[in-house]
Amino acid sequence: MNAFSPAHNPEANIIAGTSTPSAAIVSGGRHPGRRHLANMRLLSLQTAKMRLLWVVVGFVFFTLTAFIRIGQLGYVAQTPDHGAATDVLVPPRAEITDRNGVPLARAFPAYSLWFNPKALGAKGQPLVKTPEEVARALVQIFPEEDYGEMLAKLKAGNPTYLRRRVLPEQANKIFALGEPALEFPRETQRFYPQGSLAAHVLGYVEEDGRGKLGMEQVLDARLTDPAHRAEPVALSIDARAQGAMEDELSRGMLETHAKGAAGIILDVDTGEVIALASLPSFDPNRGDLARNALVFNRASNQVYELGSTFKPFTIASAIDAGVVTDLAVRYPATPFKIDGFTIHDSHAFGASLNVPEALIHSSNIVTAQVADKLGGQRLRDTMIALGMNARPPIELPAKGFPIWPKGEWPRLRTMTVSYGHGIAVTPLHLAAGYAALVNGGIWRPTTLYKVDPAHAAAGRRVFQASTSARMRQLLRLIVVDGTGKKADASGFRVGGKTGSAEIAGGHGAGYKNKTAIIATFAAAFPMDRPRYVVIAMLDEPKATQSTSGQRTAAWNTAPIVSRVVARVGPLLGVVPDARRDVDVSDLTPLVANGDGE
Amino acid sequence: MMVTARRLRSIGWMATLVVCVALVMVLAFRVNALRSQVHLSQAKIIALKQETMYLETEFETRANQQQLKTWNDVEFGYAAPIASQYLDNERQLASYAKPAEPDAPAPIRVASADDAVVVAAAFPAMVSPVTGQRINGQATSEAGAAHDRTTAVPQTNDDDAPKVTHKAVYATGLAGLGERLGMVRHAGRTNNKAKTAKLAAKKPSGQKTKSARATLKRSPSLAGIKRSPSLAGVHKSPSRAFAGHIVRAKDRLASAEPRHHALPASKSGTPLIKIALRDEKTAK
Repeated sequence: MNAFSPAHNPEANIIAGTSTPSAAIVSGGRHPGRRHLANMRLLSLQTAKMRLLWVVVGFVFFTLTAFIRIGQLGYVAQTPDHGAATDVLVPPRAEITDRNGVPLARAFPAYSLWFNPKALGAKGQPLVKTPEEVARALVQIFPEEDYGEMLAKLKAGNPTYLRRRVLPEQANKIFALGEPALEFPRETQRFYPQGSLAAHVLGYVEEDGRGKLGMEQVLDARLTDPAHRAEPVALSIDARAQGAMEDELSRGMLETHAKGAAGIILDVDTGEVIALASLPSFDPNRGDLARNALVFNRASNQVYELGSTFKPFTIASAIDAGVVTDLAVRYPATPFKIDGFTIHDSHAFGASLNVPEALIHSSNIVTAQVADKLGGQRLRDTMIALGMNARPPIELPAKGFPIWPKGEWPRLRTMTVSYGHGIAVTPLHLAAGYAALVNGGIWRPTTLYKVDPAHAAAGRRVFQASTSARMRQLLRLIVVDGTGKKADASGFRVGGKTGSAEIAGGHGAGYKNKTAIIATFAAAFPMDRPRYVVIAMLDEPKATQSTSGQRTAAWNTAPIVSRVVARVGPLLGVVPDARRDVDVSDLTPLVANGDGE
Repeated sequence: MMVTARRLRSIGWMATLVVCVALVMVLAFRVNALRSQVHLSQAKIIALKQETMYLETEFETRANQQQLKTWNDVEFGYAAPIASQYLDNERQLASYAKPAEPDAPAPIRVASADDAVVVAAAFPAMVSPVTGQRINGQATSEAGAAHDRTTAVPQTNDDDAPKVTHKAVYATGLAGLGERLGMVRHAGRTNNKAKTAKLAAKKPSGQKTKSARATLKRSPSLAGIKRSPSLAGVHKSPSRAFAGHIVRAKDRLASAEPRHHALPASKSGTPLIKIALRDEKTAK
């Protein structure tokens, strides 16, 4: 339209040529079409521009949206809700495994038994049958539950847990009762698949979700930390070795009617605790029942006078200090009096004994004399270096403080400590000490965490390497020729020392009860290159037929060590070999074979 | 014309826009569909992982150390291996394969039950459901010979032998294994003494008994002799019973068959028939 308007305009001027200038001035008013056309043109141009703008804006908008969307799909949303989905698999409390990844404690959605009185509607009876009938049926399914308690809960009519953990079979039986008020919600609880295995190491979890007693308590913050819950915590424990230790200890306990038992397997080079057992044990799956004496840890919490197992420390200290330079030197072996106290042996071993014989026969008299020559100060220093004056270095909260003779040791105290009396430590102290004795002389703190052998604790040197080598020979000799014969697991080159200490009465009452003893066997294997220390201890073993009427360590704990080593050795990478052994040929001429305690 | 071109162009642009929008929408839908699939799979994975965890935990609980110990105490009685049960190296292992020296003492023979009887009772001879005939006689005896050459019984079976024989073959293999491990054949006590003696003379004495037995097994007619020495050890007139057995042995097809197939009832007076009657019972 606009294109034609200039053609009209001259015509319009010719027509208007006769008119006055004034008329020409007002001609615009007389020809409104022309202005209209100009406006139209402007308007149309604007409209067109606007349309174009809208189209461009639209295009840009769509393009941007499309690109943003594609970019979003391509980069941002590539892992859709990955975290949220896998969160479901993250347990509320991290798993605890043994050193080989065998789960020892895990979160498990177990059934519990919940009483919901509103299940049959808000009004009326909550149960179909009478509460008495239901309670009786429930007690039949759970014989350990109390009928009165169950009945009271059912009668009260309040929603409550009737039982925290129910097995699927039991849940089926309850379902068969046909009571809608008895519900089994699946709740994530702490579950210990291995039952009471390593119960004292693991501890248990209380109903409010807090760890108690063992590593559950120590690691409580780590196990519940949202950032680390997905990764299990590996302990130094080997479930197989732990099981073997517990089996054999409980067998030994049954055979000797002992009150309790403790056992430790320790890696001599890293200080890792491979097994730590205290019997009798408890079931951590029933944490609600665990508040009793059974949770007491004999291996790391109870202190004992461990008796003759201390003699190797004394001898090693004397060799290290240069007090004993010649193992052939003989010492009188007749009882002697000191400060009104007579030091005597279990039985007479003749007029004199040399140091290897004293260890083989376990002579208090000779050890006391060696300690006397060594002096109280140096023996005390050795004991301090072996950590005998402090709580055992372990993560467990249950750590016993040794009965440590304070101040300067008088002669008598030095002598009694030399054969393990007048000082009371935990079996764990003993294990750490024996590790230092055989591993080349370096004491390392014991730990329940898995340790990379390359990054083992530096530890501290207690004995010279040469002393340690000599002690390996002597310990092996005790097992080959002496009191430890029954510990000699064929092919495993076991070396060790027996200890049968009478139990002192309370409050310095002295050793009145002559039949109550602590029988300990401290061993290491294989003696040609020690890898593991094994400690077995029985609390008050009795003389029984199976121990040939004996109650000393040679007859009850030494066989335990033998069986444990035979079972555990191959699992821990020690291959039995009857043709290998530590060379004791320079010592054998010094000893006449014989037995003693 | 210009207008149409313009129009066309704008229509083209519009069409392009629509197509683009449609494509974006298709893409978005597809992505969403895929995403929901991923969600579904993820949910499935989680469910399966949880299931695995339940089952794993259940397995670990049922097979926990204390449970295994109880089973071992009651059922198995396994003990820790001793030093002599370990081998140092391949050389020591290879030394066990060394044949016995020519003047080595004869291996000790220990008393043992006749496994074949037990096995025959457990796996009676195969009978064709149609004809009532035994269908695997030859194959079994052949395979019986085969299993004597090697312990890997099913692999050495002939291809043309029916598959049903595998069980029986395996059974005879089991029986034969016990026999080979626990018993020593004395060539002098069999009827074809001269033959085996001749064969044995050709070979070193270490392989003597083995090769003699293999020869016996390979001839189907003599397959039944296999167990005779052990029977002879049990009963009082071994030679007589043995002779009677040999005569009938031609009828016998498989060593794993129950003995009563081959023996007539009239022989009930001899010790061997007693065995046969016993077999009759065990077969049921």
